Amino acid sequence: MKPPLPPVPSPCINVCEMEAATGLCRGCMRTLDEIVAWGTAPEEYKRAVWELIREREQQIDFK
Amino acid sequence: MTDKDYRLPATMRVFERGWLSSNNVLFIGRDDTALVDSGYATHAAQTLALVRHELGARRLDRVINTHLHSDHCGGNAILQREYGTRALVPVSDGPQVEAWDEERLSFRACGQQCERFALGGTVSPGDELVLGDLRWQALAAPGHEPHSLVFFCEQEGIVISADALWENGFGVIFPELDGEAGFDAARETLRMIDSLGARLAIPGHGAPFTGVADACQRALARIDYLAADPLRNAQNGIKVLLKFLLLERQRIALAEVDRLFATVPLLVATGERFFGKDPKAMAEWAVFTLRRSGSAKVEDGVLVNREF
Repeated sequence: MKPPLPPVPSPCINVCEMEAATGLCRGCMRTLDEIVAWGTAPEEYKRAVWELIREREQQIDFK
Repeated sequence: MTDKDYRLPATMRVFERGWLSSNNVLFIGRDDTALVDSGYATHAAQTLALVRHELGARRLDRVINTHLHSDHCGGNAILQREYGTRALVPVSDGPQVEAWDEERLSFRACGQQCERFALGGTVSPGDELVLGDLRWQALAAPGHEPHSLVFFCEQEGIVISADALWENGFGVIFPELDGEAGFDAARETLRMIDSLGARLAIPGHGAPFTGVADACQRALARIDYLAADPLRNAQNGIKVLLKFLLLERQRIALAEVDRLFATVPLLVATGERFFGKDPKAMAEWAVFTLRRSGSAKVEDGVLVNREF
């Protein structure tokens, strides 16, 4: 029997501001849809959102 | 949480926010819309964006605050500007909101901000409200804050527990910091919530959770732990207050931390009452404690926020 996975942590870092250009929160890089869904979403959904966040991080231009 | 054997009624949305902003619960009823708690002032634009995203062309008719801490009512003003939303607050807070009496509202005492909003009405313990076409009862929930309310929907078995009950714990028992009683009230509030038999709790911070009875037992054990030595609650209170300011600003020069501990009324009072330390020593203790727990670091004389 596999041990249960720990709960998926929230990506919120308390920098909660939407960026008009990307439609993403500047802090957690989620869309409004993803933020709305998060609190009651299943764990698989949360893991999928984390993968999207990691992809979006790769695309940021750190200048 | 991992236990997903619940579904929210179709007329409800829970916006799980972080620690600087409380969660927001949006109700989209046939005839009326409402939001329970509106987050912190600096996040107000996102609160509005979330509400607008879900409401579309509809307006937000009411915002209802579980209690008047700045992380729960900081979006009231922007919602009023946008929609003409009526703000309903716990009945005992009505007069100080109407007069915007900063001596009696908590914001200034905590060094926090909250944009002024207009009083649209009050909610009393025992009141029944229709939110999202469901009947909810307002219940007195003193402890974390003396005038706090929680909301219970018997039909759905859902309690909006605000900062009276989290999945693991509850908010700082603030009255005790001011030398007033709070532990006994918090204990009674937890027993009351336990007696509701709710299947789902929507806390003020963190994800909605099932296993409400177990959470109540954990919280009651923690109340006993804090009440056994009130310094524990005071230590936690100091940490939470400084972390909150750090979340808001992200970076605070150590000299400014010293100034906060010398000027923010609740920090000064708590330092004197529980620690017997002067502001400088309190600031050092608080910075040390946040660093030790990994929730802040110091870089070039500046306290910098760290996420866990």
